[in-house]
Amino acid sequence: MTETTDKDKTIPFFPTHITTEAWVTVGLMAIVLAVGVLGSFWPIGLEEPADPMNTPLHVKAHWYFVFLQEMLKYVPKNIGVVLPILGIIAVLLWPFIDRRTDSKRGRLFRILLSAVVMAGIAVLTWMGMRA
Amino acid sequence: MKSFRRLAYALLAFTLVMVVVFAARAPRAEATAVVAADPVALLKSASPAEAPPPPPKQDTCQHCHLAGEITALFYPFGRWMVFAVFGAVFAYGGWRLTSNWTTRAPWKPLILRAVDWTEERFHLKEPLGKVLSKPVPMFATAWYYCLGGISFALFAILGITGIMLAFYYQPTPEGAYASIQYIENQVLFGSAIRAIHHWSANGMVVLVVAHMLRVFITGAFKAPRELNWMSGVFLLVLTLAFGLTGYLLPWDQTAFWASTVATEIAGAEPGIGNLALVFLRGGWEVTAVTLSRFFALHVLVLPAVIVLFLVAHFLMIRRQGIARPL
Repeated sequence: MTETTDKDKTIPFFPTHITTEAWVTVGLMAIVLAVGVLGSFWPIGLEEPADPMNTPLHVKAHWYFVFLQEMLKYVPKNIGVVLPILGIIAVLLWPFIDRRTDSKRGRLFRILLSAVVMAGIAVLTWMGMRA
Repeated sequence: MKSFRRLAYALLAFTLVMVVVFAARAPRAEATAVVAADPVALLKSASPAEAPPPPPKQDTCQHCHLAGEITALFYPFGRWMVFAVFGAVFAYGGWRLTSNWTTRAPWKPLILRAVDWTEERFHLKEPLGKVLSKPVPMFATAWYYCLGGISFALFAILGITGIMLAFYYQPTPEGAYASIQYIENQVLFGSAIRAIHHWSANGMVVLVVAHMLRVFITGAFKAPRELNWMSGVFLLVLTLAFGLTGYLLPWDQTAFWASTVATEIAGAEPGIGNLALVFLRGGWEVTAVTLSRFFALHVLVLPAVIVLFLVAHFLMIRRQGIARPL
């Protein structure tokens, strides 16, 4: 772990790295500009005005909350609403849960864990969007 | 001296010749032609009864009043005074230029003078040099280390476009929908700005999650960076809160019912549910009160809080350095 590799070499922040960052920013700005140009031709648009008396058939949350909404269909409600809070608390306190020095096995475990969680969220989102 | 005099005579002769040529050319030839070709004049001379209609009534020429038609007594005097002051400045500059040329400090580019001027007042060179000369490890130049920075860039874009949208947005049920329609259809580049705000907001959520996964997988959250990880989790939650509150603002059917569902989920929490529901909605239903408090959260509270967390996040990165991966 302590052997010197190419990774340990450094480059100066100014001007070498900041130039790279500037180019990344320029690329991002180009994308933003493209979005603006496309948005002029295909605007975001609006649905019908809000009407509290008229519930649409499929009420959906914003896309990154769809997995929570979908999860509530399969989990009992009072557990389902607490799960995200517990999840956030677990994520928040993760550095205090996983205190060992980093190892290849630990990293593999983390990769698998995040893959499983993200896949679960993706599947739930897909199921929710399909409805 | 002789050649100079010859040049002066030549110039004078040339001027005289030009004046003579100018005076002797056929006078008003084009002018008469223009009058003859004028259809209105032709029409008038042919049949005076069918004169063209009077021009339509025009707006008062405000520009004329502002610039041209002032005949007050002191305006010519004021004009001459302005000329005189400029002339005095010019004369002083010329005198100073010629008399002090040799005694002044050697010439230096203006930009360097500005640098010196700032340095003399704020002593920035040393701390700024310290910040800029910090070496960047090679492993931190991998592409997946840019996700956090791009999230921040998107946050800046969202701030700017959000301010632009807020110039036109009205946080009332009647005003919200109409003002977004106005932004989309009437405001110059309004739909472009709204599209950038919309897609940057969605992109920021994706990038923040991707950044979190990167930090998680490379193990960068481990000691001594626990607090930085926690501030990052708070930033993720704040980003989602931005999305939640911003989604209601257009006040159309999707927005209304999505927010109803989201606040319902918050209202189902055991113990604090009702409190959360009433706090979010400002009552039991999603109403005008909900809209104004989501707007206030979106443009006042959340930006202030997220900036605090961002500052903490960046200061800790700076202090603790970028975690070395396995």
